[in-house]
Amino acid sequence: MDTMQPTLKSGRYAWDRINMPVEEFQERVKKIRKAMKKEGIGLLLLYGNGFNDYGNYSYISNTITRLPQGSMVAVPLKGDATLMFEGAARGASSVKKMTWIDDIRASGNVSRECIAYLKEKQLTSCVIGGVGLKRLMPSYQYQALMESLPGRKIVDADQLLNELRMVKSRAEILQIERAARIVSRVLDFVTATPFVGPAENVLEAVARREARLEGAEDFRMMILKPAEKNGAFRPPEERPIGSGDRIIIYLAVAFERYWAEAARTFTFGDGSFRENLPDRVKTVYESILKGMKIGKRASQLYRDAMGKIARTGFEEISGYGMGQGIGLSLKELPLIAREDRTLLAERMCLSLRLGIRDKELGMAMTGETICLSKAGPVVLTR
Amino acid sequence: MKETNTKLEKAVRLITQRGLNGLIIYSGGVFNILSPSYLHYFAEVRPMGLHNAAVVSRTGEVVLLVEPPWDVHRVSAKSWIREVRGTSDFVKDLVAVLRKWKISGPVGVAGSKEMTEGVSSAIKKETDPQMADEIIEEMAREKTEREIEIIRKVARIADVGSDAFVNGARVGVREYELVAELEFAMRSAGADDIFILMASGKHNNEMHEPTDRRLQEGDVIIGEITPAYEGQFIQLCRTVFLGEPSPILYEKYDILTRALDASFKAMKAGASASVITRTMNEVIGEAGYAKYCQPPYMRSRGHGFAVGSIAPGGELTDKMQVNLERHQVVAVHPNQYLPETGYLACGESVLVTDEGVERLAKSDTRLYVKRG
Repeated sequence: MDTMQPTLKSGRYAWDRINMPVEEFQERVKKIRKAMKKEGIGLLLLYGNGFNDYGNYSYISNTITRLPQGSMVAVPLKGDATLMFEGAARGASSVKKMTWIDDIRASGNVSRECIAYLKEKQLTSCVIGGVGLKRLMPSYQYQALMESLPGRKIVDADQLLNELRMVKSRAEILQIERAARIVSRVLDFVTATPFVGPAENVLEAVARREARLEGAEDFRMMILKPAEKNGAFRPPEERPIGSGDRIIIYLAVAFERYWAEAARTFTFGDGSFRENLPDRVKTVYESILKGMKIGKRASQLYRDAMGKIARTGFEEISGYGMGQGIGLSLKELPLIAREDRTLLAERMCLSLRLGIRDKELGMAMTGETICLSKAGPVVLTR
Repeated sequence: MKETNTKLEKAVRLITQRGLNGLIIYSGGVFNILSPSYLHYFAEVRPMGLHNAAVVSRTGEVVLLVEPPWDVHRVSAKSWIREVRGTSDFVKDLVAVLRKWKISGPVGVAGSKEMTEGVSSAIKKETDPQMADEIIEEMAREKTEREIEIIRKVARIADVGSDAFVNGARVGVREYELVAELEFAMRSAGADDIFILMASGKHNNEMHEPTDRRLQEGDVIIGEITPAYEGQFIQLCRTVFLGEPSPILYEKYDILTRALDASFKAMKAGASASVITRTMNEVIGEAGYAKYCQPPYMRSRGHGFAVGSIAPGGELTDKMQVNLERHQVVAVHPNQYLPETGYLACGESVLVTDEGVERLAKSDTRLYVKRG
């Protein structure tokens, strides 16, 4: 789901090499090179920008830029990978602690740095694959990069990386589980904590502190108050939460680059938040969850879910999406949507949300982060 | 409402003056301390999605397009712009507005550096885009009462952050735990975003994101505490020592506070902005550290914040040609690496006035010592 990006990732920024060993990244490079060879690509440029779309380069480098700026990893078919990031040169020592890549280059403009890199490495004849270039790179940088490569064949390689990122390794799943545990603990903490006349921003501050103390690198919280006119998700504000208020919380946490998310419906009363998901909604959710089977298409899962919702007479709260892949980004492929025909596979991690509106029950939402296994879908956030 | 009408009036006047047929103010949904969002300033609401823009016609029509579509309710409630549309196909909807209002030929574009290729090429097909960041910068030069009020509120939040930083720094606490307390305090006080860089150790070289490191007796803990609210930032740079500091640490920190005070005395509306860096470097140079008044021993002597500030996103230098202006908010910090002490943080944000500067924070900029 869309959330507000922060101006800086203020949480714990660390690389636990037991959680995510160097060999994991080297294995990814091997897989990427195999895919490059198959596609006839000689050099792959993996670009990302900001704090929502760092997955492309972080998949190889393990890093995120300090500020919401651009970074790129260049992977040639042979030779070392190179990491280029936007930031001051003095930041390179911090970056070095977070990556296994030796060739690290700081620049004010990653496109310019890439042009210099291509000249230096004399990568003049190979086909270049671009990941995230057209979708994420600022146009002035994209244009400069393209103009520096006249006559060169540049192919869109987004799909190449998306395929690899969709199915998680064991180490990735464990990272998502760690993020999911923080989400779960924070939501439990919210219900276990007494509040006196809380404001939305205070609730958010309390939840954020708990997540940070558990090691959250990034934290996003959105709230929806069904009683508000045109109730829709928004960041918490300095507004009171009154006794009897129903409030839907969407919470997402990143731990060492990996995300997990959940959504809960609460009612505030007697100084505490109580989870208040109507049983009928819970039943529908569990039924949809059971249908998350390996080998089913994402589009079929969506259609099945919509059928189940329709049979209850609930109106689905549309717009936020039913869910999607989750990992180095909150919004990865596959999408649980009508148009995505991706086959669900073992070791895919997805979010699954169910938001409904009903005359009798009002508005409610629940959501979890799920890992698909041979034994069935595993809920990571409960 | 008066103020917001003024924004539209100003925009239309500047569009006309520059011979433009319209103005597109774009945001990629990023809130970067180094590159303030023109759309956030203009619409008075922080955009969230990947593509957002306000379109202003020469005749004073204005529409705000936002992603994701469901964010339209929040944006409508906060922005002065009456026509707000949620979009799930930004390029298509933007082009439709340009065509409907017959906006073609020379059109100003603010925030174009955030535009991706798809958006930029669509605008180029419909218009002859001209970079127009300066239109918004010019609009923002004169601070409104609302903006000054926001600045004062953020300064109060920064003081809360300073107290939390000093109080929370104790032996055994991890860097990220200290930042968690800092964030909690400032978010509870109303901050809607926070920028914090810090470091701890016997001899620091730079500030960075919080790590797993536990604070120890004898540590120097430095931090840039920068809360934001409604698009305005205020920065305080603080140094805390855990234990009994050596006389040399007091002596060296005193150089920095003297440099800070000297620069404040030299600042006022109309004075050259270069005076800040020159004054600080003089004080630090006279103390025997002239060769340390350059990178990598220091980064900058300060910078502006938000739209309409001095050197927004850039850094104050001794060579800059611009003058300080009334009501600019400037972060002034002789943050400095010294060979005896490592990197030290010392700084605060001030409001430039006709007579000098107003220190916005109430908390002291000094060496904080935590014994026992």
